Amino acid sequence: MDIQTLSQIKSKFVARQVADELVIVPLSGNVAQMNELFTLNETGKFIWENATANNTNASLAQLMIETFEIDESTATSDIEIFLKQMDILTKYNS
Amino acid sequence: MNQFGFEFNISIAEIILHVFSKNTIELEAGYIPFLADNEPKADIQVECFKGLPTSNLESLKLLFEAKNDEQRFYSIYETSEGLCFAIYNQQTKDEIQQIAYLNKSFDYWKIYSRDAISLKYPMGPIIMHYLTLYTDAVLMHASCAYDGKMGRMFSGFSGAGKSTMSMIWSKAGAQIVNDDRLVIRNINGNFYVYNTPMYYADISKKAPLNAIYLISHSPLNKAKKLSGALAVSKVMAFCIQNNFDKAFIDKRLEFFYKLSQATSIYDLGFVPDQQVVTYITENEKQG
Repeated sequence: MDIQTLSQIKSKFVARQVADELVIVPLSGNVAQMNELFTLNETGKFIWENATANNTNASLAQLMIETFEIDESTATSDIEIFLKQMDILTKYNS
Repeated sequence: MNQFGFEFNISIAEIILHVFSKNTIELEAGYIPFLADNEPKADIQVECFKGLPTSNLESLKLLFEAKNDEQRFYSIYETSEGLCFAIYNQQTKDEIQQIAYLNKSFDYWKIYSRDAISLKYPMGPIIMHYLTLYTDAVLMHASCAYDGKMGRMFSGFSGAGKSTMSMIWSKAGAQIVNDDRLVIRNINGNFYVYNTPMYYADISKKAPLNAIYLISHSPLNKAKKLSGALAVSKVMAFCIQNNFDKAFIDKRLEFFYKLSQATSIYDLGFVPDQQVVTYITENEKQG
């Protein structure tokens, strides 16, 4: 998944912050999906909240470097890993 | 089946439903212990009609379908006044057995049925689900045991051991609130568990909710306390919900967040014998 797809998919979910984490619940018209819930840790929450149509992997990595004081390779790797994990959500993008 | 009459009140989780009709209403046995007489004011009106209305469901916006590969339970449509439910015959799949309308404030139902059993499955549980959106409550797939001091709720996937756990606690002297479906209510920051009318008769019960166990079978008893987002999401996964509306999900998330703050939530792998009672009570003492 890429940032743009994630930014589109976000509108299909309801998110709630719990401490530093995020619970995301799909808006669904299908009973089979009504019990699928996801939790995002602090890094996942940051990427989720900043995944907008205007952001790229590079601009998001820069934002993470400034926010978490991490190096570029860590930020890039965190984003790639997170986006790969978010592939599970593509079924909601229809 | 009981030929009950034209008008009566039912109390579910201390919420009063006034059920009335021009025709006789038949009640399944499970509702009889929940009949409430002389209540001063009902919270929710349930008006029942015999015969289906002429409605063009195809012209309405479909919001939700409760179906799986084998069965079609009900469909929900949007109307200008609220929601419209098409309830399907569980034997014939596609034949509509009932049409129901619910207003936007969730306090007035109009139920049109082919027969006189207005609250038959799955209409009854649908009403119970929308009761929980009317107030600060949720409907759960879970069992609950109350030992006179602590109310413990056990939830998990089908076959995880909810009924087994109920039998174990019953043998230990605890009252079983129910072993399948429960309402949890938040009343001024205190959480209570209630049973709901089932297909069999059981008295109406209420217990405080102190701990929640998400159970699975295991070679040994082992509990792990959960917190934060994981606790909220893992418990909410066993809530009966129609997640087509953002406001419904927001309400649920807020409820489960408060519940996670007020109760202890555990993952529990358990061996199905009496020793799990001692394990749980000792584990709770240690915090």
